[in-house]
Amino acid sequence: MIPSAFDYRRASSVEEALSLLQSTEDAKFVAGGHSLLPLMKMRFASPGMLIDIRSIQELQSIRRDGNRVVIGALCTHRHIANDETIVQALPALAEAAGRVGDLQVRNRGTIGGNLAHADPASDLPALALLYGATIHAEGPDGPEDYPVEEFFLGPMTTALRPTQLLRSVSFPVPDRGSEVYEKFAHPASGYAVVGVAAWVATDAGGIIQDIRVALNGVGYCAYRATSVEQALFGREATEELLEKASHLATEEVEVLEDVFASENYRRHVAAVFTRRAIRRALDKATR
Amino acid sequence: MTVRFEQSKPQFTGARVERAEDARLLTGRARYLDDLDFPGTLEVAFVRSTHAAAKLVSVHAEAASRMPGVRMVWTAADIHVTLDSPEFGVNQPVLAKDEVRYVGEPVVAIFADSRYAAEDAADTVEVTYADLPPVLHIREALQAETRRVHAERPNVMYHQEYQTDGFEEAFGNALHHLSATFTLHRQTAVPMETRGCMAAPDGATNRLHVYVSHQSPHGFRADLCKFLGVPEHAVRVIVPEVGGAFGIKAMFYPEYVVVALAALRLRRPVKWIADRSECLLADCHARDGIHDVDVAFDGDGRILALRDHLMGDSGAYPAVPFCGSIGETSLAARMLTGPYKIPHLSFTIDCTYSNKAPLGAYRGVWGPPASFVQEGVVDRVARALHKDPVAVRRINLLQPEDFPYRTASGFVYDPGSYAESLETALELVDYDGFRKRQREDRSRGVYRGIGISVFVEPTAMAASEAGDIPYEAATVRMEPTGTVTAALGLGPSGQGHETTMAQLIADELGVDVRDVVVLHGDTDSAPYGGGTGGSRSGTIGGGAALTAGRKLRDKLLALAAHLLEADVADIELKDGAAHVAGVPAQRLTVQQLATAAYTDVNRLPEGMKPGLEVMARYQPTRPITFSNGTHIAVVDVDVATGQIQTVDYVVANDCGVLINPTIVEGQIHGGVAQGIGEALLEELKYDTEGQLTTVSLSDYLLPTTHDIPNIRIRHLVTPSESKGGFKGMGEGSLIAAPAAVVAAVSDALEPFGVMVSSMPVTPDQVLEWIDADQEKKVDSVDSKVYFEN
Ligand SMILES: Cc1cc2nc3c(=O)[nH]c(=O)nc-3n(C[C@H](O)[C@H](O)[C@H](O)COP(=O)(O)OP(=O)(O)OC[C@H]3O[C@@H](n4cnc5c(N)ncnc54)[C@H](O)[C@@H]3O)c2cc1C
Repeated sequence: MIPSAFDYRRASSVEEALSLLQSTEDAKFVAGGHSLLPLMKMRFASPGMLIDIRSIQELQSIRRDGNRVVIGALCTHRHIANDETIVQALPALAEAAGRVGDLQVRNRGTIGGNLAHADPASDLPALALLYGATIHAEGPDGPEDYPVEEFFLGPMTTALRPTQLLRSVSFPVPDRGSEVYEKFAHPASGYAVVGVAAWVATDAGGIIQDIRVALNGVGYCAYRATSVEQALFGREATEELLEKASHLATEEVEVLEDVFASENYRRHVAAVFTRRAIRRALDKATR
Repeated sequence: MTVRFEQSKPQFTGARVERAEDARLLTGRARYLDDLDFPGTLEVAFVRSTHAAAKLVSVHAEAASRMPGVRMVWTAADIHVTLDSPEFGVNQPVLAKDEVRYVGEPVVAIFADSRYAAEDAADTVEVTYADLPPVLHIREALQAETRRVHAERPNVMYHQEYQTDGFEEAFGNALHHLSATFTLHRQTAVPMETRGCMAAPDGATNRLHVYVSHQSPHGFRADLCKFLGVPEHAVRVIVPEVGGAFGIKAMFYPEYVVVALAALRLRRPVKWIADRSECLLADCHARDGIHDVDVAFDGDGRILALRDHLMGDSGAYPAVPFCGSIGETSLAARMLTGPYKIPHLSFTIDCTYSNKAPLGAYRGVWGPPASFVQEGVVDRVARALHKDPVAVRRINLLQPEDFPYRTASGFVYDPGSYAESLETALELVDYDGFRKRQREDRSRGVYRGIGISVFVEPTAMAASEAGDIPYEAATVRMEPTGTVTAALGLGPSGQGHETTMAQLIADELGVDVRDVVVLHGDTDSAPYGGGTGGSRSGTIGGGAALTAGRKLRDKLLALAAHLLEADVADIELKDGAAHVAGVPAQRLTVQQLATAAYTDVNRLPEGMKPGLEVMARYQPTRPITFSNGTHIAVVDVDVATGQIQTVDYVVANDCGVLINPTIVEGQIHGGVAQGIGEALLEELKYDTEGQLTTVSLSDYLLPTTHDIPNIRIRHLVTPSESKGGFKGMGEGSLIAAPAAVVAAVSDALEPFGVMVSSMPVTPDQVLEWIDADQEKKVDSVDSKVYFEN
């Protein structure tokens, strides 16, 4: 539980951070440190240098840009959970950020670190998928945008290049429907054993006009449960149909197993929480 | 006789005196082991076995010796001490030699300028293992053909049998029988402050000073001196603030020998503090037992005979000085009838070696398993007869007229409030109202259950994990200014002894509790004592404080009588002064008396020696006294996910005369929290290769405030025969709580026929049980339940 030796540098601008990264072989950015430092303490990661990006001012703001909300990489979970713009425009994101770990974790952890780290049990990846976010990166060759569908590649693996900094994430604001995040929190860490983000839009007769369901914690990375979406699309969500559709939540993925939850158990809970999430989204007043 | 505690009232004893310890603890001024920092201290990193069972083919630590900051590297070739357990014929080398027997066993020790340097060097050590088939389960170890953990010893390391006369007849003649198997998984205490020690040769005295986070300073010194082969006067043991101990810090461990010997060799301070992985890997473990139980009962639910085959996993070595599996099983067996009038008992005990960490003491030791079995049996009888669990308890419980009561195993219970505690707890929780609401809840798909655990806690026993010291000692000295310095051989780790012992002494001496300071934890200042463990400190330590206080009081009275020219019988000692009864003006303050005793010795009565300092030992006439009480838990089970939440909790507790109700309640709160952890969360999991998979607190689940409801407590008081009327109470809450919580889960899932038979209850297990029921439509998941007639 003691990390191996490393150098520490603090960057005050994106340019400085990028050039420091280039200058050293095995350097890593550190933002909130709440994913990286635990790994270093267990010696699962041993970077030679940490580049602390926390004092880069320009990555710390949340702003509305037309029908999108742009969130700086260094915004903390707590900032996001309490930000008025986000609570109004992206309520499920606020809900998820408010349920990350515990208060200390929410005070330190950042959205940039969360998405860049891509822990399968993190909460925010499913929200990025749900809203169809775009990840904005900056590298030695200039800026690059990644649609979220192409961002998460596997456990702790993203499309971000090792030379790039995640600068911000922009979320399109849905113009209809309603969305929620339901989470089965791990009893110790608070990470998602299962996390389900659901967005539904219905017509006056209760027919589902549009639906998105995204899951954390279940597969090797966050994913859209397209089978569930298809099973419900264009239909009325009766209890029976919802029950049946929810069981499709793990159709497309290999389900994780860990010390706490077996594959079968996780599959079961994924269905339960998918049903609960969609039900609550349906019951919630729409935009 | 039972009285409410409010009625007993000296000035401080029984009052909610604020803890003297709290100010420093809450403001961060307490000094724990790792806060001690001596110049030139070396720190230790241990390379530990990553294999459960293997021959050590080679250990290459040369590269580590050359790493920056490294001062010394030891392997088994450099240190030949073994922790001997002569009664078992098994010795543990303090650094593994030739063979490793559990994951986490120390193999190499690296001494460096900092822990960072030591850990970096540890990374370079290369150990080659040749695997052996690990022995991981008790039932497997019981098979003769299983590989021996210690080649020269059978795996069954302890066996005992007992049966009451006429057992078979009573069992055979009973109308009904049922059988069940109870399983308790492995866990450990996880004190907030991990284990550790620091040894520093003292240049001035040429002695070795050993700072250690431990429960028994003198016991630790005895063990250390024995293994080092040095005389006791050459070692001073100092226990700084201890951040939780719970039994695991009553044990002696290989690391302590390594640290002490290295300090002697290098002539400089050497420190080792366990990190959290080491805590989970290499603190002694607890529980890990199986009970195969048969019960005979009549049509009313009266339990007539109880048989248990208790099996305990000792781990790879018998822990020193207390082998946990034997401690857990042998006392569980003898306490198995608990608060119930069960006339016949039969038990067989088998403890076996395994390739897992050694089993030692954890708060409650035998108690949580015994309560789990005992309450599980009562609930099964009730379920089998379609009776309310309360009704079956009322039929079987000991009544006031039954005391003193000789149990089927030969313990003699002193009076307690067994039946009354049940009624009190039922009233607190509104049992009848609950049952009514429960029916409505179920019809709405809400599964809320209630579980009852009536417990007995043998306390202040002569022998426990704190050693075999049936007495405790106290020195009490009134300083020339009238304030008081006391010292005891206890080893508190959060129990508040500095407060409770001060309360007792202050009342004896008629001084303010704030004028009494209580020292402990230093073998140079404390009288020889047994330390803290087995719920002995309040009763035996309190008795010692009272005895010493009384002796000093007698001297003060005699002195006052002489100086005030009055009869001793007429002197009253209170509020910091002695005065003649009825003549308040004719008085001397304790300060005046103390000054006279020390500096004006010509005024002392004839024959009285100068000074005000006494030392007294107290050994209770009765070697044991039994606390009792009832816990009731209410839980909600989410039958869709298997998640369990404890939503209500009540306790009726009787530990005799209370010294400080706030402290008693704190002990109960902590024990209930640990009990909820034991029942629902905590489990050390070994995989099929013998790897521990729960080596951090992200996998070893501890209860948090979210898991603990408000706990409502009512005190009952049945005084013991011990001095002061105290009974121990350090463990009762953890003894009772797990059984209450799992009983509540069984009750919540009664519609599914579920009867919990293993701890902890995990969500996936709950779903399996419910599924099994829905698939098979059986009466109970416990397939061994059967009926005759
Ligand atoms: C006890 C505990 C409980 C937790 N519970 C949850 C939970 O319930 N849900 C949840 O979602 N998360 C949880 N977390 C993780 C937490 O949210 C992390 O803070 C977050 O995942 C990572 O953000 P960070 O700012 O701390 O990143 P860091 O730990 O600083 O970095 C993580 C990784 O991302 C890289 N990185 C960071 N920022 C950037 C950037 N701008 N550009 C490029 N790379 C970058 C780093 O180099 C590193 O590899 C928990 C953590 C802990 C310790």
